[in-house]
Amino acid sequence: MLSMKNISKVYQTEKVRTHALRDFDLQVNEGEFIAVTGPSGSGKTTFLNIAGMLEGYSSGEYLLDDVNVGQLSDNQRADLRNQKIGFIFQGFNLIPDLNLYENVEVPLRYRGIKSAERKRRIEECLEKVGLGSRAKHLPQQLSGGQQQRVAIARALAGQPRFLLADEPTGNLDSLMARQVMELLEEINRDGATIVMVTHDPELARRAPRNIQVVDGQLADFTLYQSREKDILTPNPQLNPSSNPAEA
Amino acid sequence: MLEIKPIFNALLRSKVSTFLLLVEIAITVAIVSVAAFVIVDRVNYLQQETGYPEESLLHFSVLTFGDVDRMQQIELDEQMLRNIPDVENAVFMQDVPLSGSGSASSFNSQPDPEIENNKSVRAAYTAGDENMIDTLGVNLIAGRDFNPDEIKYGLSMENPPTVIIASKAFVDEMFPEGDGLGQTVYFGPAPIKIIGIVEEMKGPWLQDSRADNMVIFPYVEVRSFDHYVVRTNPEERTAIKRQIEELMLANYDKRVINPAIGFDEAKAQYNAGDILMARMLMVIIVVLIMITIVGIFGLTLFNISKRTKQIGTRRALGARKSDIVKYFLVENAMVCIVGLVVGSAGAVYLGTLLLQEYSLPALDNAFILYTAGFVFLISLMSVLVPANRAANISPSIATRSI
Ligand SMILES: Nc1ncnc2c1ncn2[C@@H]1O[C@H](COP(=O)(O)OP(=O)(O)OP(=O)(O)O)[C@@H](O)[C@H]1O
Ligand SMILES: [Mg+2]
Repeated sequence: MLSMKNISKVYQTEKVRTHALRDFDLQVNEGEFIAVTGPSGSGKTTFLNIAGMLEGYSSGEYLLDDVNVGQLSDNQRADLRNQKIGFIFQGFNLIPDLNLYENVEVPLRYRGIKSAERKRRIEECLEKVGLGSRAKHLPQQLSGGQQQRVAIARALAGQPRFLLADEPTGNLDSLMARQVMELLEEINRDGATIVMVTHDPELARRAPRNIQVVDGQLADFTLYQSREKDILTPNPQLNPSSNPAEA
Repeated sequence: MLEIKPIFNALLRSKVSTFLLLVEIAITVAIVSVAAFVIVDRVNYLQQETGYPEESLLHFSVLTFGDVDRMQQIELDEQMLRNIPDVENAVFMQDVPLSGSGSASSFNSQPDPEIENNKSVRAAYTAGDENMIDTLGVNLIAGRDFNPDEIKYGLSMENPPTVIIASKAFVDEMFPEGDGLGQTVYFGPAPIKIIGIVEEMKGPWLQDSRADNMVIFPYVEVRSFDHYVVRTNPEERTAIKRQIEELMLANYDKRVINPAIGFDEAKAQYNAGDILMARMLMVIIVVLIMITIVGIFGLTLFNISKRTKQIGTRRALGARKSDIVKYFLVENAMVCIVGLVVGSAGAVYLGTLLLQEYSLPALDNAFILYTAGFVFLISLMSVLVPANRAANISPSIATRSI
């Protein structure tokens, strides 16, 4: 569903040129759950932003569902984001002036969905993340984990086929992080393709496919795991010599 | 896509800036509509037809000393003035229209005001010889001008004036049927016949409630000050003005000639307060409008910088640039409409206050309507620039800023 070939991204500021991505190649298939890891500043967010059409790229070719993203107008990209992509941000990015119901409603309104259908979907999604009873609350009345669940409900409400998450658990404690991860896994089982940037190796390992970005490029190894094998994989911390790839 | 409800809810949750904007718009509407009304009222007043070719007319006054036959001197002076090149006509008059000083009296329909169904109408009056109508350049629409033999030289009880020429406003007030020409009115006990009607002929005081009621008598009488009115070719008026003192003194030198002044200039002096007020109100309007524009502009910029991340997030979630612009326009329009309603109510209140306290005419609601529409447009336009800037915020802000 996603195909990047030789994608490069250069940030030009007054003094420095930063090659945030260089000759980046990646295929993502329908239904995958990919965890993206890599050192800070390596280009993970840049990759995710380009994948989500939040910013453009300097060269290369990016096809999303066989559509060449580089040839779309700003409005077409906005519409595609709205229809195909759900975003989950590290900082949750809920709109502070809107209550939970209105927050989840935002992408649905941009899609032009009728009020009754909006209501049905919002309630369903809030229910799914376990916050159905708090629709009238404002974001600041919620804990971080709850806010991130609202953000997930908002990402889900539009029924996107592609979910992009940039360190969704970065601001959460480990218990809440696990809850969010379980939610994402459930969403993936329901059919959505997920690409998640994370610094948490434990969470990364739970994803069936891991990729690593180093210095703006895909590292030369890519891990493939099946869920069943994942359960059998020995914990590397307990057994440092083992490599999940060999399991 | 119109998001009225969530925008409204969001507004209610950021009370202070919303309230400030609302108050600003309300004050602007209230003050600007009342000020605009007063200005238009004053401008109409200042531009009203007086009935005189003001740019062609000038007048001056003379204080005479010494032993001279004043009545004869008046004749000589008139002759001399008429002989100046580019002077059309000149006349001695008891009081001068538009000058701010003159006489007024009640004219009655019965010889004795005590008589039942007497009708009494107030009018300013002046007097002079048969050259008055021509010199003043007024439009005689009915009847006739004075004959030379109707002019009385010196007023006396035995020989009172018996005819007048009056403004149409006065005649119509006295005789609403429209049959005033040839009718008799009483000036004190003396019966006087209306022999001529002038279309428009303002009295000496433009602000008087009966400014249009003017009567002229056919008599010449000397008083302490003699007033002369001269009608000239308008291009030459300034030059003629300069010669007058010299020529008058050459005619007879034991007197003081006050500087001549144009009718339009005398009118402007009389109305100086109104002109100043209109100008000041104009300044107030401009300042208020500027404050509103800058205020809305600044507040929107502030709101945008406060909501940069929110705007990026909305863009990420599928908002088109136009949706972002629309958001700010709708938000502003909603605050603005409430402000307009409050401001309009304020304007109505201010209008009644001015009506009671300063006896201004009742505020015309069209002014409130036009002002409200104008402020609404201004406010949308002041939002447009910052809103476009907001629309250009990159959606990548959503992941880049924390
Ligand atoms: N708007 C920008 N202008 C200039 N340079 C930028 C900009 N955004 C990112 N960069 C640079 O691009 C490089 C990649 O940044 P990116 O945010 O993709 O890294 P990251 O892998 O997400 O890091 P982290 O793990 O800290 O979030 C960094 O060197 C960063 O400084
Ligand atoms: Mg990052």
